[in-house]
Amino acid sequence: MTHVRTLATAMAVALMPIAAGAQSMSPMRGEINSFTDVFAVRVFPANPYDQKIRVEIHVYDQDFQPVDARISPSVFQLGSQASRSVLVVVPFGGAVERKVRICTESIPFPNQQTQIKAQICGKFFGHRKS
Amino acid sequence: MKSFGTAIGATLLVACMGQAASATTQNVIFNGTISPTCTLVIATNGTMTVSPDLQSLSSHNSGGSAGTVTLTTTGGVSLSVDPVTTTTVPSADTTSTTWTPTYSAAGAHSIVETGSATAITTPGADLVSVNLAGTKSGSNRFSNGNYQATVTLRCE
Repeated sequence: MTHVRTLATAMAVALMPIAAGAQSMSPMRGEINSFTDVFAVRVFPANPYDQKIRVEIHVYDQDFQPVDARISPSVFQLGSQASRSVLVVVPFGGAVERKVRICTESIPFPNQQTQIKAQICGKFFGHRKS
Repeated sequence: MKSFGTAIGATLLVACMGQAASATTQNVIFNGTISPTCTLVIATNGTMTVSPDLQSLSSHNSGGSAGTVTLTTTGGVSLSVDPVTTTTVPSADTTSTTWTPTYSAAGAHSIVETGSATAITTPGADLVSVNLAGTKSGSNRFSNGNYQATVTLRCE
């Protein structure tokens, strides 16, 4: 299992983009080949606000049903204009390919009558190679 | 002899004239790829007010206001709102409410108020207005107390 994680992490590192400021999440598209039963994506949520916000990362399938993915970290505070990396490891679940959405969600101004939750979703396509 | 040498030199000089010095150039190629990106910055949340017949609680009503969000994108993305699932209502309100989130956009793209997904193909920045309307039917009415609802604006 450790070997699998190492491989998955290695592939995620290969997908690492240059993190940019004032961007809610990058990348927003990706296609990943994996030789294991999981594939990994590293995304970079960013906080474009002038205040600290609470960020949640969720993984959904094509029908917006939650996917049992490993997200590190899944909930965190992000400082103003800051960005950080999040590693998402998605199981193929027996399939040879899997499409998922990785979404960065935040409610920057909570406790108001009508709150707006900003959700930035990237689409990722994992291929299981044998 | 001296004049002969001068003549030879002059001849060679004339022969070389008009031939540009051969400069060596190499092209340096820069490549850049931008994948679809999207930034949503919430500027203001919305405010809902109740209608005189107490059957509508909406940001469209008099005194209400839409939430505003700045959208900046490269294009190649889709903008949408989710059905409202997270609401808080006063305990006195025991009847059902139908919540309808909508949005419109002005700026680089013009999106007429809609509740459906909109494909954005070109780059630019927009001011997105997010509205929410709650309605009650029949004899049901909104009650006094605090209402709160969350609208999810998605860019993917």
